[in-house]
Amino acid sequence: MSPSPLPPDKTSDAAMSRRSFLRGTAAVGGLTALAASLAPLRELSDFTNTEQFLQKYYKELTPDDMAKVIKRIEGDVEKQYGVRPHVRDLKPMDGVEFVYCLNLTRCIGCRKCVHACVNENNQSRSPEIQYIRVLRLPHGSLDIEKAEHNYDSKQVPEKGFFYMPVQCQQCKNPPCVKVCPVHATWQETDGITVIDYDWCIGCRYCEAACPYWARRFNFTKPSIPKERLNTNMAYLGNRPRKQGVMEKCHFCIQRTRAGKYPACLEVCPVGARKFGNILDPNSEVSYILREKRVFIQLKEEMGTSPRFFYYFDK
Amino acid sequence: MDQRPNPDPGSKLPRTNLLLGGLTIGFVALAALFAKDPWGHVAPPQNIPLVDAKFLETTPWRRTYTDMVKAKEDMSDYDCYGCHEKNKPPPIRYDAKGKIVIPKEHSNIVMGHGSHDRNDLCYNCHNEQNLVTLQVRDGRELKFDNIPPLCGSCHGPTYRDWENGAHGRTSGNWDFSKGESTRLSCANCHNPHAPRIPTREPAPGPHPMRSAEKTSALTPTHH
Repeated sequence: MSPSPLPPDKTSDAAMSRRSFLRGTAAVGGLTALAASLAPLRELSDFTNTEQFLQKYYKELTPDDMAKVIKRIEGDVEKQYGVRPHVRDLKPMDGVEFVYCLNLTRCIGCRKCVHACVNENNQSRSPEIQYIRVLRLPHGSLDIEKAEHNYDSKQVPEKGFFYMPVQCQQCKNPPCVKVCPVHATWQETDGITVIDYDWCIGCRYCEAACPYWARRFNFTKPSIPKERLNTNMAYLGNRPRKQGVMEKCHFCIQRTRAGKYPACLEVCPVGARKFGNILDPNSEVSYILREKRVFIQLKEEMGTSPRFFYYFDK
Repeated sequence: MDQRPNPDPGSKLPRTNLLLGGLTIGFVALAALFAKDPWGHVAPPQNIPLVDAKFLETTPWRRTYTDMVKAKEDMSDYDCYGCHEKNKPPPIRYDAKGKIVIPKEHSNIVMGHGSHDRNDLCYNCHNEQNLVTLQVRDGRELKFDNIPPLCGSCHGPTYRDWENGAHGRTSGNWDFSKGESTRLSCANCHNPHAPRIPTREPAPGPHPMRSAEKTSALTPTHH
């Protein structure tokens, strides 16, 4: 006799118990494992929230929106650092275009500007993000290829060298702005090129486009010691950044748009740094560009037309 | 008759189960790996020490006569006629090599005005007729709290630059309508007796993490 097929009920019973068990186990186990394998995504919650995620582009924010955004940022900072900051959205002033002048005859290469900047602008201390690099060059040359920014001297200035601090040149024709695929960085009417940290996607095109190596990327979550947090903040300026966004010198927007000098200028022990409004003929920078020997602009041949000028006394 | 395809233990069932089982094992393995985390976490960043607060100081290097008066400090050093006699200019002595001899009462003064030794005559600036004032070569008599015109009588271009804000330290406001701006005086940075600014210790450079790679200064490294 040929083997009769198993009774349908028995078949289905057997199949149910075996197959569904396997399927069920596989499904539950698989889903659990899938969830566990996605665990690294949980870390994202550290620096993003729905409000921030859904936030509009800076230029599309109404004053009401901005007030809310500022409240949100102040709350976030307070939660993270335990101090409530004062965040402002400072707009460019009418009839003002900023220019920076740096006296190469006077600079002694003490790097105080580098650290005053870090302190003012809430940069990450570890890993280290610095907007200013002080180049050491041998006398009689302006060949950047001969420059050294890691000099480790006991005393400065050293014989036979001069020093040239380089930071964002606030170009009139900024290559970084041109390459940004999402318009997260742009030039304001007072000449400062700013970044909307909540709009930046972190593609680093601007870093590659900048001929001055002025832009910095937050590879990790920035670490700022609570006691050194500067609570005077601006939206487009020194509010704490998050992982994965670009940042750079913004001429201390939180100070300069309120009429004050930038931090790097005030700390300079030899007064080599000068800042002001080029549209005002009586300003210090107007006098310098008119009367002093100005080494026009760094990497002039790039056609970037920097608003940062180097000058000499002798 | 049974319409359902006969479950064939040799082909169909194991294939589904193998797939599901494989997926399960895959996910479990992933979960285990993420839990163990052999690559997911970046090595904890090096703990870069904070920069010494002295490098963040914005106070001037030197204190001038004006600062001392303002702070109501001991001004006995400026009471010249506490020791000197009035109307009797103290004599200036030189050694055999023609270098000025600083009397021990003034041993805190280090003479070094100019790279030559031709400017070591005290009365180029001090007024021998009235020691509590300074004198300009053109005959003007200046008080100790107003020295820029005295310095400017020799260092004309620097004085002009200082007046226009191209030389010297400023702080406060670039926009004078928004608040005050301070321009430091000559002696806030320069020692009148030895005006060359002394060398000093620089603040730490970029952290060794990066300085280890010797990079051309304007060529970005991709780290």
